[in-house]
Amino acid sequence: MKRDRNDSMNSQGSLSVSDESIARLLCDDSHVEEAVRLIMKKYGEQLYWHIRRMVVAHDDAEDALQEAMINVYKYRGTYSNEFPLSSWLYKIATNEALKVLKNRAGYNVSVDDLGDSLKDSVRAEASPDADETLILLQEAIALLPTKQKMVFNLRYYDDLSYEEIHTIVGDSVNTLKTNYHYAVNKIKEYILEHQL
Amino acid sequence: MKDLDLESLSREMPYRMPEHFMDDMTARVMSQIGQERSRHSHRRLYAIMAGAASVAAVALLLIHPFGMSNLNVPDYESISQCASIDEVFQTMSADDLSVYSMMSNYYGN
Repeated sequence: MKRDRNDSMNSQGSLSVSDESIARLLCDDSHVEEAVRLIMKKYGEQLYWHIRRMVVAHDDAEDALQEAMINVYKYRGTYSNEFPLSSWLYKIATNEALKVLKNRAGYNVSVDDLGDSLKDSVRAEASPDADETLILLQEAIALLPTKQKMVFNLRYYDDLSYEEIHTIVGDSVNTLKTNYHYAVNKIKEYILEHQL
Repeated sequence: MKDLDLESLSREMPYRMPEHFMDDMTARVMSQIGQERSRHSHRRLYAIMAGAASVAAVALLLIHPFGMSNLNVPDYESISQCASIDEVFQTMSADDLSVYSMMSNYYGN
């Protein structure tokens, strides 16, 4: 079942270029810039929101997205058409988001321990007219362990199948399902506990 | 106990993306890729030039297997070895003499 994506994420409506065509351009040195431009147009917003849900702050998301797109150019030779282009892009974006979080955590702190600081950033970054439940949802997501957070976001917001998430995150489908299940329970618990 | 249906919640984010952000980002990315590309082509050019210089050096060594010792050196060195100084001095102009004196000092003669 396909769910409706929110407006801010939906950038694909007007672009009809197929992923196969973009991948072909990406592998052709004389058209690689065109390919990156098309990727930005087709997937830029989706990748931005994917990163932003992980790192919360816009400035961090901006840095990570820029680095991710440069990596798309630099490492285009590693793309294999065995997997969907979108999965490869999500993987690069996820790596950049994790890099930002690791930098923020420093040497002695695990990324998983950033939960409280990320949760505080949610309210600071939220727009003044944002719905309280949506803020609570993002706070709950911020408190999740990184793996659960990635799986939940990719499934809930980006509507990816577990098989696609497997190509991005790397765990088995059963492990991913368990991660999602735990994430949903923790999020529900947090929202119900904090909702007025 | 109350339950919450996450599926019923909006997928909207409580954050905003700054206006024109994607256009600005695209421009920045394309400019950075342009720089990467020119850096890469410079590196390739240097590599080609370094390769060509190596080939030229090897070719020079093959043509002149004894290196610099076999190359043409100014006559004044052979003059000092093969002819008597007096004979040579007689045929030398004032300019030649000053060059000879310079070279003699240089070679420690």
